[in-house]
Amino acid sequence: MSSTHESRIGRSFPWWHETVVGVLLVVVLLVASRLVPDFLKLQSQLLLSRQLWEFAILALGMTLIIITGGIDLSVGSTMGLSAVVFGGVHTATGNLFAASLACLITGLCCGAVNGALVSRLRLHPLIVTLATFAAYRGIAEGWSQGFSYSRFGDDFSNLARGNWMGVPLPGTLFLLMAIGFGVFLSKTPNGRFLYAIGHNERAAKFSGIAVERIRFWLYTTTGLLAGVAALIYVARFDTAKADVGKGFELDVITAVVLGGTSIYGGRGNIVGTTLGLLLIHETRLFISRYWGSDELRSIVIGSLLIVAVLAYQLVLRKRER
Amino acid sequence: MSNLQMPTSEHRSIQASHLSMLSRLIRQRETGLLLLIVLTCAVVGIKDEHFLSFDVWREILVRCAPTAIVACGVMLVVVTGEIDISVGSLMALLSAVMGRMISESEADLSCWIGIPATLGLGTLMGLFTGSLVAVGKAPSIIVTLGLLTALRGLTTLMMGGKNIDRLPEGLTQLAKQGLFGVPISILAGIGVIGLTSVLIHHVPLGRRLYALGSSAESAKMVGLSEVRLKLFVFGYTGFLTAVATIVDVPRLPKIESGIGTEFELLVVTCVVVGGIAISGGQGRLIGVLLAVVLMTMIRPVLTFMDIGEAGEKWTRAIQGMFILLAVVTDSLSSRRRRSSIREDAA
Repeated sequence: MSSTHESRIGRSFPWWHETVVGVLLVVVLLVASRLVPDFLKLQSQLLLSRQLWEFAILALGMTLIIITGGIDLSVGSTMGLSAVVFGGVHTATGNLFAASLACLITGLCCGAVNGALVSRLRLHPLIVTLATFAAYRGIAEGWSQGFSYSRFGDDFSNLARGNWMGVPLPGTLFLLMAIGFGVFLSKTPNGRFLYAIGHNERAAKFSGIAVERIRFWLYTTTGLLAGVAALIYVARFDTAKADVGKGFELDVITAVVLGGTSIYGGRGNIVGTTLGLLLIHETRLFISRYWGSDELRSIVIGSLLIVAVLAYQLVLRKRER
Repeated sequence: MSNLQMPTSEHRSIQASHLSMLSRLIRQRETGLLLLIVLTCAVVGIKDEHFLSFDVWREILVRCAPTAIVACGVMLVVVTGEIDISVGSLMALLSAVMGRMISESEADLSCWIGIPATLGLGTLMGLFTGSLVAVGKAPSIIVTLGLLTALRGLTTLMMGGKNIDRLPEGLTQLAKQGLFGVPISILAGIGVIGLTSVLIHHVPLGRRLYALGSSAESAKMVGLSEVRLKLFVFGYTGFLTAVATIVDVPRLPKIESGIGTEFELLVVTCVVVGGIAISGGQGRLIGVLLAVVLMTMIRPVLTFMDIGEAGEKWTRAIQGMFILLAVVTDSLSSRRRRSSIREDAA
């Protein structure tokens, strides 16, 4: 897809996509606050934001991967496997710290396997992560045999349910991480290299960028983030089951693409992803609070994704003929 | 090239061609899949010879049929360099629409209206996806990802939390017992496979799809219409999804909104394991069909291995392993081939 050009609007105003998503977000918020009383109240927003954080953390890693032109379908399954390992270790040892560590290490290893397959064997990331999407979930299902672990104690649950200066703890974690990822992406050489890889991998390689090493660490990091997300999820619900994180991969990719990251690579940033996440989150909240219907929610989100990507193709990009 | 330099080269090249034919056969995806299937059958058959009985295989083939039917379409989509991950949700939507039309407790229309309407709707939905991809120039993975979510929601909305049952007696009988003792889904499967095979091998259209997939630029230069070809493959996939819905869904006791969940991933898995290159332009139908049989076999095999319910929970893990195995061997063998070419050149 190197044959696509940014059209004039795209060149003269690079924040076009983020602006559109931002405006959409404001529109949703305005409409929602009109139709649903106290929709915008900080207290209820913070309370309902709990569903957001796991997605948000995964989306950070996914943004980086998609910027390089890759994709990771296995994040949800990695969460499932990490959660089951957490439950298993906790049952065996009774030690929360050991269990959490095992959970994070599992995520890291899952990511490293993806990374090794993508970078060492040069396999297409879509295929690799489709395989591990099935494999990780399958191992989680086979190993746990459908058993659901629970009762990890209140102290642990409070990690996900508690607040720090009024902001939920996972939210604080996300904010710190988002700033870290944003700085990495825009201010460090390795971060800039990601765009180079996404734009033209060959050129990146020829100019001496360690493409394969960067790629390996990218998938490994995303695996680790899935471990973190699993930990938050398990703490929030106080249960660890094989189906933790089912379907997350699609929602996360939706948020990232909605936020202006090009699926072909080379474009995107953390601000856009955060806006995309918020747009999806607020739309969901609004629909479920106004109509109380879950079905409508997925229709709207699915259509939103298609419309966003169509608009992007039609308005911002012009194909070379 | 090196043949010209040596006097004995002719002799060597004949020998080499024999060798390379054998090694090509071994390296081919289809041979590997077939060996794997035969081996598994042999092992399970020795343990419990009932596994090799007619009834068991009839059941396995019936389960293969919908996957094989849809895979014929998705395979062509992948050959042109695109992907379709919305077939599972489309199947759910189509079965809901079909159920709403022909169920005796719903609209109770005749099957002669309901079935063509379902086929038509499937084709239209496929063409819609195709037009977003071909005309709207949106990446197919994102479009079909959006449809995957949206169509599932639409289905749930249409069903309104109820299940649909009481499909016409004739249709369920046909689906369960079949025509002249052959289950209708197997008949439909054979028909679709035949049609697809003719399309690929005997009609210019098939060649054009491969041409488009291997190089969109050159295909355009020789005057092929990218838009038309892509509309065709997506439309065909939509049509085949409707066929699979019609033959498979009446076998179920009732229609619920969860039908076809993760079906798209199974289909894409089969297409990939069957050796269709995800970058387009490569791969054969027979490989995909063998992959469908292999993937469908896993669960019955686990049942027959008699490790109880504990074993069946591993189905998905084994599926994942198979995909990994398929792509890793593929990458290793192509790397070896590449390095041997380099040696020849040197």
